[in-house]
Amino acid sequence: MKRRDNQAFSTLYDNYAGALYSIIKQIITDNAELASDVLQEVFINIYRKIDTYDQTKGRLFTWMLNIARNASIDTLRSKSYQNAQKNQELPDNVYKGTADQSIQLNVDNIGLKKVLEKLRPEHRVLVELAYFKGFTHEEIAEMMSVPLGTVKTRIRNALLQLREYLQ
Amino acid sequence: MNIKEYIGSGIIEAYVLGLASESEKAEFEQLCTQYPELVAARRDFEEGLEKHASEQAMQPPMGVKVKVLEAISDATRDVPESVSSNPPKIITMANEKRGSSGLLRFVAAASVILLVVLAWFTYQSHKQNEDLKSSNAALHDELNSTQKTLEAIVNETNVLKNPNTTVVNMVGTKVAPKSSANVYWDSTNNNVFLVVKNMPQLPSDKQYQLWALIDGKPTDLGVFDSRNDKVILQMKDTKKAQAFAITIEKAGGNPTPTLDSMQSLGKTMQSQ
Repeated sequence: MKRRDNQAFSTLYDNYAGALYSIIKQIITDNAELASDVLQEVFINIYRKIDTYDQTKGRLFTWMLNIARNASIDTLRSKSYQNAQKNQELPDNVYKGTADQSIQLNVDNIGLKKVLEKLRPEHRVLVELAYFKGFTHEEIAEMMSVPLGTVKTRIRNALLQLREYLQ
Repeated sequence: MNIKEYIGSGIIEAYVLGLASESEKAEFEQLCTQYPELVAARRDFEEGLEKHASEQAMQPPMGVKVKVLEAISDATRDVPESVSSNPPKIITMANEKRGSSGLLRFVAAASVILLVVLAWFTYQSHKQNEDLKSSNAALHDELNSTQKTLEAIVNETNVLKNPNTTVVNMVGTKVAPKSSANVYWDSTNNNVFLVVKNMPQLPSDKQYQLWALIDGKPTDLGVFDSRNDKVILQMKDTKKAQAFAITIEKAGGNPTPTLDSMQSLGKTMQSQ
């Protein structure tokens, strides 16, 4: 009985690990080892939390995608990751940045980021910060010195454009 | 509430991508219970997102799967061990104050008894809790596999019910008279799906390969294994095809088909 369930979980892994790994790599862009650790953590969490998945709130994939995104962003924001970045002497300008120019965009040619390239630059920055860096709308408004309402409207518009590209 | 405006406001995308605030989420979930069209629109976006994400899937690093499966079976094995390694703690009171008052002795004795009883209850409820946890986990596993099967069936019927889908029945050849498969070909988006009905198991260095014959030329539509029996497979897209054919090739496929190993062939309307 147990063995059969592990087999089902193994199939689940085979079906979704690739897609989830892709989203993790789009968030943790510069550390393959860490991305691999996050993928492992994500699947263990999926296994543990499957009882909290509510079918009425969305598809299984959506639920798993959000687990993967949250875990990646948590890792990105963890102290140990930030320190590792500093040790590599990379510019850590995400928090210091106040104007558009100082925010370096890491738009790689993979996954959702590929779709992002099609958006207008001022929209792309917002989706990048909100979705891939996990900043709240308030944080973004402050960083970019733009009113909160504007941030919100622009993100909504960007998402609507994203939707068109996904169809 | 104008539901059409709400649907077009970007809230669906924000909700699905995890960018909505707590109050927006609560409102969205509440409205979903009232407006089926909202649920349908959300589902549409989710499906597009899932399709895009699986198209963009990357090869996960080697070894992660093994580590995950190990961690999971460790977790299930640990449950009974943790029960036995935590025996109830019973603290005995040292009889230091000899000759103290009778009341004090009584209180001491009573508290020892109380402690033992409490420890026993704690142990019992802990054990019960662990039992419930493991049966709960078993149920989740079951739910998980059922969910998986259900999604496969739903995906399959979605393709089969689509009015734009052309069914091409592929029959076995002389080499393999029993090998048969159906190609479901969506003429609007050129998607090709394959349902294998009966394909013998192949050695591990071989795979089946699907071909589209376009103006007499075979074009590769991808490889698949015989173990995918009865599951719907999405193959590469094609705009044109007069026929579909399946051959046995080395694992990973060949640029041109090995025709004497042709297993199955089916002609389309375009061939007439």
